[in-house]
Amino acid sequence: MTLRDQVRQAVTAVASPTTAKGHTGSARGTTSDLTIDETLLLHSAGWEPVDLVYGISWWSIPWGVWQWATGEVQEASAAFTGAAEHAAKQLRQACEQAGGSGVLGVEVGVRVSSHHVSIELTGTAVRRIDAESHRFEFVSDLSARDFVLLTRAGWWPLGLATGASFVVAPRRTAREWASQQGQNIELPNLTQALYLARERAMERMQRSGATMKADGIVAVKLREGRASSSVRVIQFVAIGTGVHLRTAAHRPIAPEMVVPLDEVVRAFDVKSLRSAGGE
Amino acid sequence: MTDARSAPGTTPPAHPVKAPATGAVPEGLPPDAGRRLAELEDRPGHKGMFTSDLSVNEFLLIKEVGFHPLGFVMGSSIYHLGIQTRRWSQSQELSKLTEAMYEARQLAMDRMDAEATELGADGVVGVRLDVNYYEWGSDTAEFIAVGTAVKAEDGRSYRNRQGKPFTSDLSGQDFWVLMQTGHVPLGLVMGTCVYHIAHRGLGQTLRSTGRNVELPNFTQALYEARELAMTRMQDEANELGATGIVGVRLEEKSHMWGDHTIEFLSLGTAVASSEGDHSIPQPRTIISLDG
Repeated sequence: MTLRDQVRQAVTAVASPTTAKGHTGSARGTTSDLTIDETLLLHSAGWEPVDLVYGISWWSIPWGVWQWATGEVQEASAAFTGAAEHAAKQLRQACEQAGGSGVLGVEVGVRVSSHHVSIELTGTAVRRIDAESHRFEFVSDLSARDFVLLTRAGWWPLGLATGASFVVAPRRTAREWASQQGQNIELPNLTQALYLARERAMERMQRSGATMKADGIVAVKLREGRASSSVRVIQFVAIGTGVHLRTAAHRPIAPEMVVPLDEVVRAFDVKSLRSAGGE
Repeated sequence: MTDARSAPGTTPPAHPVKAPATGAVPEGLPPDAGRRLAELEDRPGHKGMFTSDLSVNEFLLIKEVGFHPLGFVMGSSIYHLGIQTRRWSQSQELSKLTEAMYEARQLAMDRMDAEATELGADGVVGVRLDVNYYEWGSDTAEFIAVGTAVKAEDGRSYRNRQGKPFTSDLSGQDFWVLMQTGHVPLGLVMGTCVYHIAHRGLGQTLRSTGRNVELPNFTQALYEARELAMTRMQDEANELGATGIVGVRLEEKSHMWGDHTIEFLSLGTAVASSEGDHSIPQPRTIISLDG
């Protein structure tokens, strides 16, 4: 076992709820980060919250990959994939341990530093109220509200689909730079490099959706920003929830148009009226 | 509005031969883009899927009006903006910068359109246009357009008169309401104008010190710039044969040019009334009991 594996194992042991004592959902009351409204809504659909669960994974990136890389930083992308898979596995274990059959409202924390990628997933484990046994069904970053709405239409969440890519923006040669001064011109090599990186992040997300046999991925969020200490390294992270249709066909939800009167009521301040009237 | 490519039940002819993921890629798109899009589609032995950045609400509302999302599409362009000399005391449009801001956005949107066409879409909803600046690029900016490609489930074509998928920056909710009221989106229309606003001379500054006066040169400059941007947007809508533009936003940004140079960007969705009678349902009024 290499040092890296040992460190990883130690980190996993600390993070894993399976080894944390006294953390079993059945032995104590429920913990959840759902709001009262959401809990109520969940109950109306025949589900209840069980416990707050999390999955954490740190994955190391070899030394020097940022400095010497051109184009895509494969090592970092691989580390992200590894960490995402592992964190999802941990979350699933924690959910099963707590006696839940799904995790809702998962917050995805992604941190990328020069030497590691860390992914933290935190969510609320939920289960069917009337079910005898709780088979694991899904992980999703959708809120309880979204979950209820989605299932009402016949769609079910399956899991988190994630994908990332890290790219080093190519440099322009001195000649290119000089020829572009004062011009309105597209920069094809930079455009292509970033375009490709975005597409790759989305493509990996799609693949991760395909492995869970999803019919689609909803609520995709594409995050982008600087990665590591170099300003030229840009990260693209795509996250969404894989869904599939359980019923034979999509069930219409038949929405109704309403005009909420809240704002008008709020704008009417009785106190100000009273002071103006001089009472 | 008949278009061979989007006739009911037919898939675009380019797809079955697109296995090596090259060749069929629209111009300006990297080959990998074609590969990602090809994976989204159903082929013998391969189950396709959809991706979408729509929220659950929006997704269900899009389904409600008879559309199905096909894929998350995007386009981008990194563009080097030219230089134009500005006269300190003269208000003027900086046509070179206007051109740059317009062309770069157009490039990004064209690529997004190309991706949507590749998927055989009827339209793109929830389009967002963004501008990014990176520390390593002086005078350069990245223009991005993203949205969700959708297709009508009844096989009717909703492409606009240019044969392209419609684009719209309306949210799923707005799209639903729009369709309920008997309108169809035709395209995202925009107009832009980069304007340099003259500095005030010493004499002017002294004359207005301590007084309530209108500053006519500032008023006029801002007025004209806004009018130019909006006129250009309307011209685009006319070209599409629109009966109106909804959800117009006017954005004013200085980007990287300092205080006196401002870009006025107006954006909206061109719409036309669809065939047939539509009665707008009477909305119900509700009072929620939240705090």
